[in-house]
Amino acid sequence: MKIKTLSDLNPGTTALIGELDMDESDSVRLMELGFIPGAPVSCQRRVPLGDLAVYQLDGTQIAVRRETASRIRIRSVQATGTADA
Amino acid sequence: MPSTAEAGAVAGSPEQRSLRTVAICGAPNVGKSTFFNRLTGLHQKVANYPGITVEKRIGRIELPNGEHVELLDLPGIVGLHPRSEDERISVDVLKGDSPMTGRPSAAILLLDSTNLQAQLRLVPGILGFGLPTLVVLNMSDDLEARGGSVDVEAVAKQVGAPVAAVSARLGTGMETVLRFLEGATAPPQRVELPVLNNIPAEQRWATGVTRQARYHPPEPSLWGRRLDKVFLHPVAGPLIFLAVVVAVFQSIFTVAVPLMDGVEGFIGLTAGWLGTLLPDSMLKGLLLDGVWGGVGSVVVFLPQILILFLFIGILEDSGYLARAAVIADRSMRAVGLEGRSFIPLMSSYACAVPAIMAARTIENQRDRMATIFIAPLTTCSARLPVYALLIAAFIPERPILGPFLGTRAAVLLGMYAVGFVAACATAWLLKSTVLKSSPIPFMLQLPPYRWPTIRSLSFRLFDRARVFLRRAGTVILVTTIVLWFLASVPYVDGQPPEIGDSLAGAIGKTIEPLVEPLGLNWKIGIGLITSMAAREVIVGTLGTIYGMEADEDSPDLQEALRSDLSYGSAIALLMYFAFAMQCMSTVAVVRRETGGWKWPIAQFAYMLALAYGTGFAAYRIFG
Repeated sequence: MKIKTLSDLNPGTTALIGELDMDESDSVRLMELGFIPGAPVSCQRRVPLGDLAVYQLDGTQIAVRRETASRIRIRSVQATGTADA
Repeated sequence: MPSTAEAGAVAGSPEQRSLRTVAICGAPNVGKSTFFNRLTGLHQKVANYPGITVEKRIGRIELPNGEHVELLDLPGIVGLHPRSEDERISVDVLKGDSPMTGRPSAAILLLDSTNLQAQLRLVPGILGFGLPTLVVLNMSDDLEARGGSVDVEAVAKQVGAPVAAVSARLGTGMETVLRFLEGATAPPQRVELPVLNNIPAEQRWATGVTRQARYHPPEPSLWGRRLDKVFLHPVAGPLIFLAVVVAVFQSIFTVAVPLMDGVEGFIGLTAGWLGTLLPDSMLKGLLLDGVWGGVGSVVVFLPQILILFLFIGILEDSGYLARAAVIADRSMRAVGLEGRSFIPLMSSYACAVPAIMAARTIENQRDRMATIFIAPLTTCSARLPVYALLIAAFIPERPILGPFLGTRAAVLLGMYAVGFVAACATAWLLKSTVLKSSPIPFMLQLPPYRWPTIRSLSFRLFDRARVFLRRAGTVILVTTIVLWFLASVPYVDGQPPEIGDSLAGAIGKTIEPLVEPLGLNWKIGIGLITSMAAREVIVGTLGTIYGMEADEDSPDLQEALRSDLSYGSAIALLMYFAFAMQCMSTVAVVRRETGGWKWPIAQFAYMLALAYGTGFAAYRIFG
């Protein structure tokens, strides 16, 4: 089975952050922003015309490009039913 | 009023009685600027041009005990591993590595109390710098209003540093901050903090602190979700984005015009009044035509610049600008840049200088260079007076779309389009050759929506007005006086020379062969030289040279230009001003920001080639 990444997370679903598949300086920045292994993350919406999606971590909202999101693994995907998209 | 001896006693040893510096730090969008303004009021200075918060801002305040303290407002940091230039500045200052400031004697760490779980992660790292630190839980009003709460004492106990709950917006809780600045806060018990550089451990620690302090996060803002639903909507989002951009530019022309007429009228009135006061002499000519007319022709643009910055201020403070960057990401990406470049490029329509400084927030160094390189190609407000003069002189006004759009407005819009296309093409060229980079992770935090306050907007405008007037009073004043002098010597038989026989005329005639291929004469040549200082100077210069008032609505100057220039050479001149890097401040700021002469020289040469090439082509085509 294909490993699930943040880019697979649909609006209205929540998961836990897994491994960050990138070099250290990039992964440190993502962790500083809250993409910490084990932290819950939910997808709020995909942005029109582009390949950005907005994710919610704790009280922080962050827009991430798809190519970056596809390097963040996730586990335990669940529906939350709070998406607006 | 306590004596200085007492203040010295509080501060400790005699050498500490010299001015202490306290650094204010925190993540982006936690209200640092509001907090800083609340403490310092107008007693602040901005080293050179202010960006948004990317510039070194210093304020000096007198504490209730009579002691003076210097406050330093640092750019926002996400963590202690800086990736952008402005983050690096903050970390260097806190470490004591900054040559500009030396090591501060204390720090204030601002946290957004509505998002404490995430914000507390910064605490161990900042305390690790070993400075006496006050942790401020800002936006306490927002936390309470949305049903959240936190035990401040318990947070203090957990982090081992004094903690204050504050609303910088309302000014509540500031007493604790002042006591800390006086040095009167007892050092708290040391506690064990997580090992540095282990972010998961820092997060576990932060979660523990919020639990101990019985932190209840506020209800998520319903409004925020609703607004995002609209602003990031697949159809409505981009449309609103376009509408906002158009509204901003529209207001620069419509709202600003009556204000500009007011300023212009005032300058004309005072000039007339001064004229009756002063005796006729050479000095009178200098004061009236040179100083008052020259500087006045530039000060007229103050309303326009302030209106643009007012809009940018509202967009940024409200949180919309980050959403706009998200919407713009797609189009910026088409030319090889990222959404974040949109913010500096938008402000470069007012002035390239703050725009180039705002590029510090771009993490990817190659993207930052490309943004700096293209910023002066966008149509800044200094080009407006030149465009306005030439368009009024050469384009007859005829309606195109009834009362909505006339030929003159259409040509002006066309000039904006020319600059925009050149900026995009240049970005694409750079990003596919010398500045090619593999994509780095792009992420952008979306701050919560907030009402912009009149207070913080007025601070911004006050800042901008100060900077602009200082420039008018220095660079422009000096070039105007020098030109006036060159145009007034050498005296022939005790009389000032004809302009053609003056020193300025001689210089103009020397360079005439260079500007002739564009269909321009030596008088315009002089204007091209003086406007190297700043573009708008050419209006005053041509006024002086043609021996008339420096007023771009003056029919006489327009008449004179029409008799001297052909239609094609007027278009050539417009092209020259669209592209040439006629601005010393921009050259200087690029040199400072890129750390050498390589980039500004390349940029100057590139833009000059573009200006000369298109000017030559325009003259050939339109004759």
